[in-house]
Amino acid sequence: MSSRKGRKDAARVVREQLARERRRKRTLWISLGAVLVLIVAGLIGWSVWSSQGSDEFTPPPGANETGTGIVVGSGPVTVDIYEDYICPACRQFEQTSGATIEQLITDGKVRVVYHPVAYLDRYSSTEYSTRASAASGCAAEGDTFAEFSKALFERQPPEGGAGLSDDELIDIGVEAGLDRDAFGSCVRDGKYRPWTEHVTAEASRANVSGTPTVLVDGEQVREWTPENITAAVEAAGR
Amino acid sequence: MNTELRAWRPWLGLAVRLGLAVVWLWAGWSKVGDLAASGRAVHAYQVMPYDVAMVIGAALPFVELALGLLLLLGLATRLTAGVSAALLLVFVAGIVSAWSRGLTIDCGCFGVGGELPAGENPSYLPEILRDIGFLALAGFLLIWPRTAVSADGALTGEPVEDDNE
Repeated sequence: MSSRKGRKDAARVVREQLARERRRKRTLWISLGAVLVLIVAGLIGWSVWSSQGSDEFTPPPGANETGTGIVVGSGPVTVDIYEDYICPACRQFEQTSGATIEQLITDGKVRVVYHPVAYLDRYSSTEYSTRASAASGCAAEGDTFAEFSKALFERQPPEGGAGLSDDELIDIGVEAGLDRDAFGSCVRDGKYRPWTEHVTAEASRANVSGTPTVLVDGEQVREWTPENITAAVEAAGR
Repeated sequence: MNTELRAWRPWLGLAVRLGLAVVWLWAGWSKVGDLAASGRAVHAYQVMPYDVAMVIGAALPFVELALGLLLLLGLATRLTAGVSAALLLVFVAGIVSAWSRGLTIDCGCFGVGGELPAGENPSYLPEILRDIGFLALAGFLLIWPRTAVSADGALTGEPVEDDNE
């Protein structure tokens, strides 16, 4: 055991042990560092998110009590309609069932709450969903929500583009009968953006995960044909 | 044959590591621009209260980006692979649960998610299979974390063969 080779071997074993120990320590520190990086990344996300939202909002005139939508009509049955102005299926909904809903409103059968949500901001390069929704709040201020909303769906821009510009939104509003100065500055200032944020958040909270979503008396009408909507309204009114 | 495989493994590992890095960077990047939408996508699974979902939805893209960066550098590969695998398992569980409850949502894995246009059917099975593929990448790195051209290698020196097993 006291041979020269034995001592050499022992020294090598000790060296290797020390090296392994060093490596283990480094690995531990690296792991701790990585965990820290992941936690900090999550916290950054949290703080960015909480600094983004504004809790203060003013609903436009004509909004419901909770400020989550614009009320049109005053019938006994409440119909909630969640739409995004850039959503093609919403346009389709307006084309197939818009007239029926209008008729139900004029007949005094329903009270429609329109929730112009901004779910699809990512589908335009200019957050068109948010801008259009906020502009609809401006239109509500001028008591022209329904007309403006209808015109927006008729002139719906395609997904993936820039959407309509603020100027185009203002022109559409003026065509719908709004005052160019008042409506124009309301749109340009983004006066109802915080309201749009509120409408969108509350829709998501209410488990509305897609647009259009149509609720008659709180019950979702999954296939929103004119017949189904009329039937649901009749059933709810009974 | 076996030794040949051993010689190649760090390079295969590098490919796997970079592949998983790209997955995370892509997933994080596609969501980081609209944190509210990311939160809504989480909430659409209807498994947690709204406010919790919004916080998780905001934190998730950043965590995904961090995972991607760590994998790109090859730093703490085994730990990062473990966290990746755990996250992917949670995602798969979420999709399976959404499917079994009959929800019609987009998984929100890359991009907006949550909202699915009417008439469009959710593609749960492909989403699950894709995640299982990613899970395989993470599993590889969990078993063989030592890959070529990695910060781990540069910082801790040459591995002793049995160190990883």
